[in-house]
Amino acid sequence: MLRLAWRNVWRNRRRSLINVAAMGFGLAAIMFGQSLIISLQKQLIEKATGSITGHVRVQRSDVDESKFPDKFIADPEPAAKILDADPRVAVWGKRIQLTGLISSPTNSFGALICAVDPDKEKTLTDMSTYIKEGTYLDPNGKGIVMGRKIAGRLDVRLGEKVVIMGQAADGSMGAEAFRVVGLHETGSESFDGQIVWVPLKAMQEMLGRPGQVNQLAARVKDIDEADAVAADIDGLLPKGNVRAISWKSIDREIISIQAFQDGILSVVLVIVFLIVALGILNTQLMSLFERVREFGVLMAIGARPRWVVRLILAESLVLGSVGTLIGLVMGSILIAHFGRFGLPLPVGKAFAYFLPFPTVIYMVPSWRMHAIACVSVFVVTLLASLPPALRAGRLKPAEALRHV
Amino acid sequence: MSSRPKLVEVKGVHKIYPGGSKVAALNGLDLTIERGEFSALAGPSGSGKSTLLNLIGTLDRPTKGTVSYDGRVVSSLDAEELSDFRLASLGFIFQAYNLIPVLTAVENVEYPLVLRGVEAGERRRLALEALEWVALTEYAERRPDLLSGGQQQRVAVARAIVTRPSLVLADEPTANLDSKTGAQLLDLMQGLNKDHGITFLFSSHDGAVLERARRVVRLQDGALLADEARAR
Repeated sequence: MLRLAWRNVWRNRRRSLINVAAMGFGLAAIMFGQSLIISLQKQLIEKATGSITGHVRVQRSDVDESKFPDKFIADPEPAAKILDADPRVAVWGKRIQLTGLISSPTNSFGALICAVDPDKEKTLTDMSTYIKEGTYLDPNGKGIVMGRKIAGRLDVRLGEKVVIMGQAADGSMGAEAFRVVGLHETGSESFDGQIVWVPLKAMQEMLGRPGQVNQLAARVKDIDEADAVAADIDGLLPKGNVRAISWKSIDREIISIQAFQDGILSVVLVIVFLIVALGILNTQLMSLFERVREFGVLMAIGARPRWVVRLILAESLVLGSVGTLIGLVMGSILIAHFGRFGLPLPVGKAFAYFLPFPTVIYMVPSWRMHAIACVSVFVVTLLASLPPALRAGRLKPAEALRHV
Repeated sequence: MSSRPKLVEVKGVHKIYPGGSKVAALNGLDLTIERGEFSALAGPSGSGKSTLLNLIGTLDRPTKGTVSYDGRVVSSLDAEELSDFRLASLGFIFQAYNLIPVLTAVENVEYPLVLRGVEAGERRRLALEALEWVALTEYAERRPDLLSGGQQQRVAVARAIVTRPSLVLADEPTANLDSKTGAQLLDLMQGLNKDHGITFLFSSHDGAVLERARRVVRLQDGALLADEARAR
């Protein structure tokens, strides 16, 4: 039956070629869209977690806002030991994040101050890679790294001093002078204009909180395990007001963006599937009308009605297979090309306000999603050919043989 | 009365085509076909020849009356059962040959055997044997568009007989052929009837063709006009 189906499909070569090409383009477009969304999401998550959030965080459970934990963990060592012991954790570091006042001789304004363990932070986040002038932080020094934009607003240059003020443990205002050791340029308005980085030890001294932090941030080896790692660590933490959460509980806006993009992708998929389905339906209906007499002959020589139905479905199977194969090859080539050379997209600039985000997207395949797309195109093809197939199955042999 | 066993029995068959004018194509027709016959249905256009062939071939259902094979009423079987019956018992030859254009001659002949589920090697052997009977072995791998009309009709004959049916029905089998090729086709059909005992019932309005039949059933306005036995 498949042999006959194959030959029937290529009986009208031009029509079938147009049809499989349309299916191929449709599937390639679906794969491209899937890959683009996945690549965007992947880069967005990588940048968000890789610039500041980390994959898993241990912080106080009574903080007002997970993104900016403002309450201190009096004894971070039990959590540190748990993080050290988990083989799924690649690196972790202690941090203090707080809002404070930063002043230069000519200007002062509020900023987000990130006090980090510089040695750990170099592998925990990629902020050190954005330094354009100077160096990164010395763990035992009193240096400060800031964006060129914030330095411009403060009118300070490398080697000059700024003063940071923040609320100390006793409620008084702590203050410390830091020398500008590095200037970074991430391309992000928020990072370059609102965040500064100082060594953890100096900040603990300034705040009168020796050994205290308000978060322990970790990078896990496989980001897909972040939720599981967070849940396991949370289960091991001593009972109290400290908890472990994954980046999904911190960067909730990314989850919303993902859901929004997935929604748009679904709408596009439905539209493409409908186009493919209508193409197949059209081809098979035309093929049916052209071959009514032939189906009559097949029935006359003993083909059961269900056999005729199966023949038309087999023809769709051939069309679907060839179309899917063409789409798979075209889609894979497109994704491989833009994966290697990148796709310049203005959307990067939109994200860059909040995060250091590249304007070139390097596409990655999502074989699970592509497989679903291929199977869906295949199923849509079969479903679209079902009405003409059933119609052919209901033909009466004598009437079909009289068909001109 | 002949001593040969009855193969087909048509009893009180009416066929009225639906529609505004409700055309009555057959009006209470009775007919019996015996095994081994080489018979023709004759009559002018609209006399009911094709309608009767369709009813005997179970391609259509009578409005009233019954069609029986070996005493079994087949006109009441459902569509799937009728397909199985045709596959098991009947062969068809059409005026326009009606070969499947994408298949070669031998593949066309094999087709009923494919439907029967015969194993590939065996069906190729049987198909080539049938093509040998119609003297077309050398054209086995040609597609219909590379065969003449006469050759295509011979392939159609081979397809009709490859399953060794009880009855081969042929609707105007020579109408699209020139007289010489038509005569050759009738020779072939007669030979198959004589040598292999295959029962043939064909329709025609061509006197020269009817001359070759051993029995001619004449129809007019959907009724039996005459049933003539020919001594040959």
